[in-house]
Amino acid sequence: MQGSDHSVVRAVLAGDKDAYGALVRAHSATVFRAAFRIVGNEADAEEIVQEAFLRGYQRLEGFEQRSSFGTWIYRIAVNCALNRVGRPEIEAEYRHGEESDPEEKTVQVATQDAGPERVLLSREIKAAQEVAMQRLTPVEKTAFVLRHLEDRSMSEIAAVLGIAPNAAKQAVFRAVQKLRRELAPLRGTA
Amino acid sequence: MKHLSEEELIELYYGEGGAPAVAHLAGCRECSAQLAELQRDLEGARMAAVPERGAEYGERVWETLRPRLVPYEKTVGWHRFFGKGWAQWRVAVLAVGCAALVAAAFAGGRYWERHNSGTTNVAGNAGPQAKQRVVLVVLTDHLDRTERLLVALEHADSSDHAENAQMQSEARELLASNRLYRATASNAGDPALAGALDRLEGVLVEVANDPNLTAADLQRVRDEMNTEGILFEVRVLLARTPDQGSRLKPAKGASI
Repeated sequence: MQGSDHSVVRAVLAGDKDAYGALVRAHSATVFRAAFRIVGNEADAEEIVQEAFLRGYQRLEGFEQRSSFGTWIYRIAVNCALNRVGRPEIEAEYRHGEESDPEEKTVQVATQDAGPERVLLSREIKAAQEVAMQRLTPVEKTAFVLRHLEDRSMSEIAAVLGIAPNAAKQAVFRAVQKLRRELAPLRGTA
Repeated sequence: MKHLSEEELIELYYGEGGAPAVAHLAGCRECSAQLAELQRDLEGARMAAVPERGAEYGERVWETLRPRLVPYEKTVGWHRFFGKGWAQWRVAVLAVGCAALVAAAFAGGRYWERHNSGTTNVAGNAGPQAKQRVVLVVLTDHLDRTERLLVALEHADSSDHAENAQMQSEARELLASNRLYRATASNAGDPALAGALDRLEGVLVEVANDPNLTAADLQRVRDEMNTEGILFEVRVLLARTPDQGSRLKPAKGASI
């Protein structure tokens, strides 16, 4: 895939604009997923996908053939998303889902047969998580999303965010600590 | 027992903990409980499932994006290679040019200095002071050998032809060396040293070319040519330091 991506990039740079469509088709879903997880809503995520591929096309001459186009466009998208979550109105719109992804082996907070008290507690936990996520800085939030949901390594996160690996690790640590601090009062009752 | 820090627990949760942390966890209930609590917190923090995007999504993105893209100019081969980063190439070419200019100036300076110094000496390409030191060492050795030869000849048995032949062979070698040093001193503009070596050469010529050299003959040479005086004179000249202008100025009071 990487080899074919490189040949497509060469074709685009040689003047074949339509060849770029193959790259867009191949990587749109991945870029959308990352963008959605950072910004938290579909409309913004789709805008970020458009923006990332447009920037990618404009900067294609700077793309180094030894790297993967998928990783390269992913980084651009994460940066676009990072810029967007830095805006207050997006922070306010950030939402946590009501359900978890079974493929990611997540733990359901609310069980199907939960009683009213259990449902109430579950809502409180989600609210606390939401508050915690809103208190994260854009870098902390992005680092946490990339590590926790995208399963990216610390070195990848550092490369995407343009920071040192240790700084990326500290950003993830801080995000986890803030999250746990918000959840601490509910821990005894859960 | 020192328990794991929260950061170490987080690393363990993400599968990045080191072997010591893993080993500690295996034997520590308290840290295991902490890790279990961390897992509950973090797994509860899984956020909204990502809305599915089918195969047509990429096509839709492309259709939206396509009108906004301007095709790259059609360039091929070397045009692209150079056109891509011509500014960088110019900088690189400029840097290489500067480096070549500096190297040429250095080499030219070296050549000019050597060409105009007018010295052909035994010290090769060394600097003036280094050359001087080399000449001193070599000449001192030459004088020592000459002195030893004269002493040996003085005590030699004139009937032992083999020994005489060996010493005369040595004298011929010293004679050849002496000529070289004399020429060098002369070219270096040191007439005092050149003169002394010239007189020593006369002694060596006598010794080297006399087929029946006897102790009496040697004594005659030593007396007539003042061999010891010549050797002393040369040693005095060599003892001059470079800042006394030994290369060009004759030593005061050194003539015999």
